[in-house]
This record gives sequence, structure tokens and C-alpha cells, in this order.
Amino acid sequence: MTDTSKDHTQPDVPAVDVGELLPRLDRGEKVLLLDVRNDEEFADWKIEARAPVETVHVPYFDFIEDTEGSIGRVPRDREVVVLCAQGGSSEMVAGMLTEAGIPSQNVKGGMIAYGVYLQPVRVPLAAAEAERFEIWQVNRRGKACLAYVVLSGGEAAVVDPSRHVEWYEGFVAERGARVVQVLDTHVHADHVSGGPALARRLGVPYFVAAGEGFELRQPVTPLADGAKLRLGGEKGVDLEVRIIATPGHTPGSTSFLVDGRYLLTGDTLFVASVGRPDLGGHVVEWGRALFHTLHTRLAALSDGTVILPAHYGGIQEIAENGVVWGRLGDLRKGVPELQIRTPEVFTEAVRGAVKDPPKAYAEIIKYNLGAQTASEEKISEWELGKNQCAAAAKKSAAG
Amino acid sequence: MALKKLDVRGMKCPIPIVKAKKEIDTMSPGDQLEVTATDPGSIPDFQGWAKTAKHAALKEQRTGKDETGREVYIHLLERTS
Repeated sequence: MTDTSKDHTQPDVPAVDVGELLPRLDRGEKVLLLDVRNDEEFADWKIEARAPVETVHVPYFDFIEDTEGSIGRVPRDREVVVLCAQGGSSEMVAGMLTEAGIPSQNVKGGMIAYGVYLQPVRVPLAAAEAERFEIWQVNRRGKACLAYVVLSGGEAAVVDPSRHVEWYEGFVAERGARVVQVLDTHVHADHVSGGPALARRLGVPYFVAAGEGFELRQPVTPLADGAKLRLGGEKGVDLEVRIIATPGHTPGSTSFLVDGRYLLTGDTLFVASVGRPDLGGHVVEWGRALFHTLHTRLAALSDGTVILPAHYGGIQEIAENGVVWGRLGDLRKGVPELQIRTPEVFTEAVRGAVKDPPKAYAEIIKYNLGAQTASEEKISEWELGKNQCAAAAKKSAAG
Repeated sequence: MALKKLDVRGMKCPIPIVKAKKEIDTMSPGDQLEVTATDPGSIPDFQGWAKTAKHAALKEQRTGKDETGREVYIHLLERTS
């Protein structure tokens, strides 16, 4: 919000943080979300919650043109929370509504704040495991991106962090641990990675594999397929994280197997779909690699393996406990692409199912390879909207 | 018929439209208002506003660079009635 937003007189309205609002919407509280963005922005990207969100859409310029008429379009029977792109227009509208006797709150920072909000959810482990380690799934709700913090004996590995590196540093420090390794499952195309920056700040190794055909300009400590990282060794816990090359979504895609049971798959395998292999212009080649990964490289893993992906396709993929996860055995039976038994049919199916590529994906890949830098404003523009990384994500019913 | 210019560079929504509406309200039918903004969101927003505006029509939208090299979005409005 700029100082100029006080250009017109209006009462001060209470602000609500995305971090307060989302749990309330998830619980299904009776809140009316008044979205005042333009039609285009509203159609492209909405706040999603685990319970249906009751939303009314009236653009802010309608309130400027016809204040009274627009106020008349807002139901009066429940609490109103006003949302816009950046928080300025919604503040104005919330002020108009409050003045007209409809108590309203403003979503601080609007969709920009929604797009960067991080919600940590603890992955429930078996009792014996929980004595030795913790896995936190960090859900970037606005983009449906999932990062992970694996903690053991005071040491942490951070996987697929977004660019909000201070948040990750703080989160690990609050748990009395220190980051010893930063990893990316692949060169992301939908969001800017915080991996290199986090590793640099903390002076710890960073790993990502770009794969053939990509020139990686980030300093990387390579880890070979089958290599094992160890966490918590100093305190005698010795948690193993095994590196498994899982090419397909990208040639360098890598999965990380924690304690032999929790597989951080990146964009290789989601709980309801598989990664899209088309973002490099080699859909046939990468599609075959993905087929081989899913049916051969992951074949040795037991059905009890817990899949923890880097994205979800829709809010319905978040389980009751707030975690996006699946048993490999269930996924082997339930994910449509895993039912296809021949590579040719598989490649055709994933090719046919792909949607538009993520917005600005070429720019984001260049950035994540270390081949260019960008301003915070530019990155924010690149990252607007939800990810499009699954081959066939179903359209979410919520919103 | 007068042409008035409005500079809303650096300002974020809702200010460009709040100011444009204020100006239009003081103008006579046929007068034009050229708004220079830096917010790319102003393109769909001015289109959306013009659809329901009682006294303004959107004649033209174009992009350009200002003297500092900044990308600008220029909206030409006309007071209609």
C-alpha cells in the first residue's frame, strides 16, 4: 500500500493476514469473501480452501463508479472479507462498506500475500520414527507448491525451498536445529528456487541436477544416484537420505528417500497424477524417461512407501490432516498414468493431457539455472498464479 | 475540446481510476483525458471501468516508455455525457 491510498477519506478498516484467514476458510467458517479484482484476474486465480469459499465478485472500479449500487450487491448476513490483487483497492472498498454499516476486513497484501504465504504442516510419522526425525511439509498455498524440512538430531535438510529464505532459516532455528544441506528435486519452471540463496547464506552445500542439455551456473555439490546423505549423526541419530535419480519431468529430476520410507518425489509423481515431461521441447524423449523412472527405477520401492510430492493439482489432494501425501501402493492402483503399461501409449497420453506451460517458465528456468537475475517485482510477476506442473491435474471444485 | 493529462505513474490501484473518475467528473462532454500509468494492471482495470462508466468512454490504450525509460501504459478517455 502506498501513501497515496489515503487520497480519499475513509475509515480505518481492520486488516486480516492471509495466515489468519486461510485456516478460518479451511474450517468452513461463515465468511463472505468479496473479491474486487478485475474479471480477468478473478477468472485466472482464486483463493482456495479445504471447505468451499463463498465468494462474491464485484470489481473495485464498480465501487468507484457506483458506490451505492455496488454496496447493494454485497450480502449483509455475514462477515465480509475484501480481497484484491495487492491490498489497496480492497482497503478502499472495505472502507466504503464499513461506512455503509457493513463491517468489513481487508486482506492485507491481497493475492500477492496469498502467493507467498507458507503454511508448515508436520507429516505424521510412526512413533519409533518420530523419536528420530521430523518431516515438515511447507505448503505454499497460493501456488500449490510443497517444500520440505527434514530434521534429525539438530540437523536439517531443506528441500525445494521457495525464495523466502529467511522464513526457512527462521523455521529451522525455531526448532533448535541448523541447516546442513539444501536440495532441489529439479530445476523448477513454475517458481524461483530459494535453494542457491539459502545455501549461500548459510555456507552449506546445495544440490540440484539440471541434466543433459542444460548449463547450470549455480555452484552445486553433485550427488550421484544412490548416494546417501546423513543427518543427525553428531547426536547419534544417523538418519539416511538416499539420492535416487528419477529423470522424466526434467532430465535431472531427483527424488530423496528419507529413512527408506518417505519419498520426496519433486514433480516426478504426484498423489493424483505424474509430472509433465513437455517443458523442454523433448516430450517424447522425456516422456519415455519418465515412464522408465515410474515403472523401473521406482519398482523396488514397497507399496508402503509414502509419497511426498512438490505440488498438488487441487485442494482435494490435501488430506484430512492437512498433508499432501499418498501410499505408493494406493498410487500404483489409483493414478491413471500409472495404469498405462507401454511407453508409447504413456507418452501420447501425457502429451495429450498437458495444459499451457507455467507463465514465464522459460524466464524462471533461466533464473534457476543461474543464467540471469531479476528484481523482486519481476519475480513476483513471473510467479503470479497457480502452478501447472502436473500432466493432468483435475480442475478444483473449490474457490 | 480540451485534452487534459493525468500522471499516475508509480501509483497502484485503486488510485489511477479514483483520480481519473474525479477528473472526468469535472470535464465537459467531448473533452479527453490522457492517463499515464506504470501499473500493468491498469490496462484491464480501465477497460473494466469503462464498461460501466456513465460518463466516460475508453478511446485508446497504448504502451510506451517515459523519459526515465520506464514502461508506461497510456489510457485515452473521453467524457461522453
